[in-house]
Amino acid sequence: MPIIETIDLCKSFGQLEVLKDVSLSVEQGEVVVILGPSGAGKSTYLRSLNELETITSGKILIGGELLDERRGGHSLVKLTPEQRTQILLRMGMVFQRFNLFPHKTAAENIMLAPVNVKGIKEALAREQALDLLNKVGLADKADEYPARLSGGQQQRVAIARALAMEPQIMLFDEPTSALDPELVGDVLTVMKDLAQSGITMLVVTHEMGFAREAADRVVFMCDGTISEESSPDEFFTNPQNPRARQFLNSIL
Amino acid sequence: MNAINQILSWIPSLLNATGVTLLLTVCSVCAALVLSVFLALGKISRFQPLSKLAGAYIFFFRGTPLLMQLFFIYYTLPMLVPALTINSRFLAAFVAFSLNVAAYLAEIIRAAIQSIDKGQMEAGKSLGLSYGQAMRLVIIPQAYKRMIPPICNEFVMVLKDTSLVSIIALTDLTFQTKIIAANKASSLVYIPAMLIYLVMTALFTVIFDRLEKKLSVYE
Repeated sequence: MPIIETIDLCKSFGQLEVLKDVSLSVEQGEVVVILGPSGAGKSTYLRSLNELETITSGKILIGGELLDERRGGHSLVKLTPEQRTQILLRMGMVFQRFNLFPHKTAAENIMLAPVNVKGIKEALAREQALDLLNKVGLADKADEYPARLSGGQQQRVAIARALAMEPQIMLFDEPTSALDPELVGDVLTVMKDLAQSGITMLVVTHEMGFAREAADRVVFMCDGTISEESSPDEFFTNPQNPRARQFLNSIL
Repeated sequence: MNAINQILSWIPSLLNATGVTLLLTVCSVCAALVLSVFLALGKISRFQPLSKLAGAYIFFFRGTPLLMQLFFIYYTLPMLVPALTINSRFLAAFVAFSLNVAAYLAEIIRAAIQSIDKGQMEAGKSLGLSYGQAMRLVIIPQAYKRMIPPICNEFVMVLKDTSLVSIIALTDLTFQTKIIAANKASSLVYIPAMLIYLVMTALFTVIFDRLEKKLSVYE
């Protein structure tokens, strides 16, 4: 059973169709990288999965459970807020612009949701936060405010913050696009470690190196549809779709 | 020298009246702050009836003169609804000012909340926070700091606007000043009165500056 399954996902902003019948299944533990030119709908697709965008029509299943099904904008699913939160908490998200809480220290950023959503005791949550910071190589930054951290460090705290809710799936929305080139490496290292750990990952990125090394599968999106799905080797050496070929030529 | 002695002799009664001005200002702004948080959250709510209601409240209280609102509450309301008669002048002024100031503060708070980056709410939601939790734990704490300068501004405005209560014969600093000016036939009394207003304004400014600095620790 796929851990993420979307069937005929459509999303329009007014007249603009951003997603056109996007169907994709991701198996547990798979690392899927979504590539494509800007405006292809990659981020919108990712954001639809955890309901930061509301789909116009289609079906989203997470861990086999129906999260949303819509026809013409109307929801056909009735979930209680608790049920919805339960499903949504299977996914953690990392944003392009980190979105750390600036009024909280690194450790407090990580502790906030475990304490307030899961009801974990403060002391225990802090212990876990320090563990996670250690994992992303920032053990010494626990009590720094985000403004005192570099972009790369902020993004690693953001990854730790998402992991603190123990999601089965991690969604990455262009996690390195807002970083200075010399800071990208540290974030990618953390992501590669994570990929090895067996967590399911769905990554929108322009880092071809990461796709080549860490992805189990590459999905190429263009004009709101998936136009190619293949292994990274196949995609980078022998892309089938003409738009994918054009895209690869333009970035290499 | 004579003039100075004369002015000094008025100070006790002026300070007495200053108490009323200060009390009215602080009480009204505090009550207005509580009310305005609900108005602001109501106005940005996606629940239309609530948003419309808050909008109508703000429209009414910003759209009519404070002076008339004061008259309305003290004179008109008892005629329309006898149960709502407020006999105490101070209480009537307090109610009018609280209701009026809340409308202005609500817009300040709404603007501060909406100036917080959308990504903050998204991050909160992606971590499983409810809308209320995200507001309480993430958005509003950040909005505080941005509210402080305009709230200070509002505070100082209210302090001076309280002089309107002399119209319902509440003995605030302005009313007392006018009494002295009339009784002693001397307009010199406006000098100490204005100085007292200035000292109070300076005091509020210092307090709010401190508050703003204290809230910027994380930047």
